[in-house]
Amino acid sequence: MTRVLYVLAAAWHGFSRNPFMSVASTLTVALMLVLLAFFVVTDRGLQSAVALLEQKVELVLYISDDAKVSQILELRARIEKDPAVSRVDYVSKEDALQRLKELAATRADIGPIEEIGSNPLPASLEIKLAQAQESRRVAGELRAEVGSGIVTEVVDNPEVVDQLLTITRVLSIGGLAVLGMMLFVTLFVIVNTIRIAVHARRDEIEIMQLVGATDRLISAPFVLEGMLVGTFGAALALLVLFGAAGPVTASLVKFLDILPVSLGPDLLARLAAGVFGFALLMGAGGASISLRAYLAK
Amino acid sequence: MITLEDVSKRYPNGTYALRDVDLHIAAGDFVFIVGSSGAGKSTLNRLLIREELPTTGRVVVDGQDVARLPRSSVPLLRRKVGVVFQDFKLLPTKTVYENVAFALIVTGHDGKTVREETDRALALVGLLPRRHHFPRELSGGEQQRTAMARALAMRPKVLVADEPTGNLDPVTTWEIIKLLVRVNELGTTVLVATHNAEIVNALRRRVVHLDHGRVIRDEREGLYAA
Repeated sequence: MTRVLYVLAAAWHGFSRNPFMSVASTLTVALMLVLLAFFVVTDRGLQSAVALLEQKVELVLYISDDAKVSQILELRARIEKDPAVSRVDYVSKEDALQRLKELAATRADIGPIEEIGSNPLPASLEIKLAQAQESRRVAGELRAEVGSGIVTEVVDNPEVVDQLLTITRVLSIGGLAVLGMMLFVTLFVIVNTIRIAVHARRDEIEIMQLVGATDRLISAPFVLEGMLVGTFGAALALLVLFGAAGPVTASLVKFLDILPVSLGPDLLARLAAGVFGFALLMGAGGASISLRAYLAK
Repeated sequence: MITLEDVSKRYPNGTYALRDVDLHIAAGDFVFIVGSSGAGKSTLNRLLIREELPTTGRVVVDGQDVARLPRSSVPLLRRKVGVVFQDFKLLPTKTVYENVAFALIVTGHDGKTVREETDRALALVGLLPRRHHFPRELSGGEQQRTAMARALAMRPKVLVADEPTGNLDPVTTWEIIKLLVRVNELGTTVLVATHNAEIVNALRRRVVHLDHGRVIRDEREGLYAA
C-alpha cells in the first residue's frame, strides 16, 4: 500500500514538476491522436467508397439468338457457382430494347429508334463480381465458351478493375505507412519526455538503486507518468473529436449518404476506445523504453 | 561475511584499480581500509554492492558470489550492504524523516514498518528532534548522521562507509566515528575507507592498507602507517 501510494505520488509529482514539458508532450500526443482518428475515419470512408465501386464491376456475356432457354439457364447456374461471382442477371432481347428506348428518351444524340423494325439487340447475362480482383480469370474462363453456340461475346473492363485494385492497394499500404509514422512520433515524444523526467530525478534513482529498490519499482512511477501523458493526450483528442464529429458529419452528409459509413455513435465509441488504448500503450511503452535504456547503464 | 579471492579490477584503459586482492572479513568485524587516493578503496566498496564487477576473481558477500547474481537479485544484495558516502547523497526536497523513510518505502516495507524503523534509526543516530528539518538546515555531521540512519533503517548486515568524514571538521568526525563503533557493537560488520590517520591510530582496529590496488598490509590492531 505504501509502495502504491509512493508510485502514484511520484508519478504525479513527475508530471507536475515540469509543467511546460508535460503540457507540450500532452498537446503533441493529442495532436497525433486527432490526426490518427481523422485518418482512420478518412481511410474507412475511402475503403468503403472503393468497395462500393468494386461492387459495380461487372462482366457482360452476349448470347446468341439461337441459344435455347435451357442452355442459357444451365450456363447461368454454372456461372453462379463461382465464388467470385455475387449475382447473375438475365437481360432478354426485349429488356435490352426497352433500356435503349429509355436511354434514347433522355439523349438527343441517339436518334429515334421506333424506326427500327426488328430487334437487333442480343440477350445477355450481366455478372456482378464479389471479388473484383477475380475479374480477369472469370472473363477468361467465359471467353472459352465463345463459339460454342451460346456465347457470342464477353465484355469486361480490365483497366477499370486494375485501377480500382491499385487504389485499394495504395490505400492500405499508405494507411499502414501513416499509422507507422504516427506510432513513431508518439513514441518518440513520450520516450523523450520520460528521459527528461528520469534525468531530473537521477539523484533519487541513484539512491533507490543503492538502498536496493527493484528496477520495477524504480520504473513504475515513470511508466505511470508516460501513461498520464497518454491519458491526458487522449482525453484532449477525444474532446476535439466529439466536438468536431457533429459539424463534420453534417458537412459530409451528402458524401456519406452514398457510402456505408457514418460518424455514428458506434464508430465514435470504437474510435474513442482505440484512441485511449493506443495512447496508454504508447505511454507505457515509451516510458519503458526510456527506463530500460537508463537502468541498463 | 565478506571474502575476496584473488580479485583484480582492470579498467578498459588498462589501469588496475585492484590487483590480486585476497581478503576475508568476518561477521562483526570493524575494518579500516586505508591508502592514498586512487589506491583502490572506492573500487573495493563498489565491488561489494555490485556497482562494478571484478575482472578476475571472486567476491563473496554473505555466502553469495556477487558476480554470479542475476540482475534481479542485485537489489536484495544491496539491502544487506548499507552504504554511506562522503557527499551524503541526501534528497534536498525531503526532510530528515522522509529521507530515511524513503529507503524503506522503495524497498517495499509496509507503513507500520516504515514508521517504526525510521524512528528507531533516527533515535540511534540521535536525530529524532531534527526529523522535520531539511538537509540544508542541518550541519555536515547531522547530514552524515541522516545518511547513516537511512542505511541503518534497512538493518544491513554490512555497513560500508566511503570517506564518511571527508567533509567534516574534527569534532564532528569523532561523532560519526563513535556512531560507527556503536553500530558495530550492535552486530553490524563495518568497513570504513578513510584518509584520516588520527582516527585510525586512536581506535587501533583492523587496518587493511591498499597501495596501487594491492593489499600491502593487513593488521589486527593496526595504525594508519606501518
